Amino acid sequence: MIKLLRIEIYKIFRRPRTYISFGIVLAIAFIIQLAMYSGGKDFMSFGMQGVTEQFDVQGNIINGYLVTYIILQSLLIHIPLLVALVAGDMLAGEANLGTLRLLLTKPVSRARLVLVKFVASVVYTLLLITWLAVTALLISLLIFGEGDMVNLKSDAFIVLLKDDIMWRYMAAFVFAALAMTTIAALAAMLSAFADNSIGPIMTTMGIVVVLTILTNLELPMFNVIKPYLFTTHMIGWKGFFDDPVPLKAIANSAVVLALYTVGFLGVTIAYFNKKDITS
Amino acid sequence: MTKKWIWMLCLLLVHHAASAADASQVFYALRDKMLKIKDYTADVKVKIDVAHIRIPEVKGKLYFKSPDKMRLERNGGISVLPKKNINMSVRNMMPAGNVTALDAGYETIDGKKARIIKVIPEDEGNIVLSKLWIDEVLMVVLKTETTTRDEGMVVMKLKYGAYTVQGLPDQLTVLMDVKDYKLPAGVTMDYNDPTEIKKPKDGKPKKGSIQLTYLKYTINTGLTDEVFNKKK
Repeated sequence: MIKLLRIEIYKIFRRPRTYISFGIVLAIAFIIQLAMYSGGKDFMSFGMQGVTEQFDVQGNIINGYLVTYIILQSLLIHIPLLVALVAGDMLAGEANLGTLRLLLTKPVSRARLVLVKFVASVVYTLLLITWLAVTALLISLLIFGEGDMVNLKSDAFIVLLKDDIMWRYMAAFVFAALAMTTIAALAAMLSAFADNSIGPIMTTMGIVVVLTILTNLELPMFNVIKPYLFTTHMIGWKGFFDDPVPLKAIANSAVVLALYTVGFLGVTIAYFNKKDITS
Repeated sequence: MTKKWIWMLCLLLVHHAASAADASQVFYALRDKMLKIKDYTADVKVKIDVAHIRIPEVKGKLYFKSPDKMRLERNGGISVLPKKNINMSVRNMMPAGNVTALDAGYETIDGKKARIIKVIPEDEGNIVLSKLWIDEVLMVVLKTETTTRDEGMVVMKLKYGAYTVQGLPDQLTVLMDVKDYKLPAGVTMDYNDPTEIKKPKDGKPKKGSIQLTYLKYTINTGLTDEVFNKKK
């Protein structure tokens, strides 16, 4: 099992596209850091208008913690794409290359093969999130320094004290890893249905984009389905930057994401077990 | 009988005139006492209780320079204070220049007898009317209720301790109307409890309070303007 996992991880990291993902994360972080360095004050002044009308807010607002939070917003769209690039290729890529049938001649059950490939995708996802943490948090702290963090919600202006932030980021990254694992499971499931990796990658992104729009539309007709969409729960990491932290809601979101992951994986195994492999 | 009534009426008028003069005297004496404080530096604790602002109680150093310069320094941290017009200083809630002071009775505040004086400024400024609750024994203001042109009604409550002689409070609470705050949810992409249905806001101003607890004052050290002009 471990040997098989090593092989799958090797396969992922042998491909140049894997490193493109790490490069894209670095580029996203760098662009946002540059933008915040040059125009961060205007950006925040605009967002804080509702507060500064009556209150005088002083101090180093544009600091490493705030910039990292803005970078993490990319978890909504950009990072899922990078996760789908690898996870969507998991089975469909093998089918496309014509190596899937050969792979299945090994004395390993199909379920185990799916699990190993999924775990390899999760390893990649975790490394990507760790890389995001390094490029976003560490580099932002180096450039902008630390300080109290301002969090602008639609109905609240939250200030978190600098000694009370680092644990929130650690928890947020763990939650983000869980959310991205769900995306990996979705892409893996779609990958099982296809014989070409472009389809699963595009479909994963399509689902994420459409459901994210549904999640963010403030229309009563969508409120009924919102609690059941995994995209609603994917932003659960943001809860760690609220005051007080809505632990119950975050735990609920984590459970929903875990259930989705297990569900996607279950469907993948069930379908792949019965699939007629012709390539 | 008629003579008796006329005498009584005269006495009442004389008394009213005398107390009106007293009210002015008390107000000017109090204001003069406060004017003696040219500047101060104080270690403070700030607690903000405003519906849309969530910030823990913070400690910092508050700088004040007459007439209206104020700055809270938090060792690199973020500080939130009401805008300049609602300065966290009782002095700024007292009109400058000539005023008309009227007696408005007595009231007990925190077990202390307070004389209420209504002050109407003669000059046109931000303050329209100020109502002061004054402890005449200690010659300090216990409460102010100020109607301003720009910020509506501002209520200030004060408690005194070690710096009563100088007229500086140990604790000051400002109660004010706070405008509603709203950003588009599509921009902020909030995470809220997905099972919780939020009630729409009514958009009306809400009451908020800011409490300053003064731990230690350093008075009249000759603070320069540079202290207040430091990079925000």
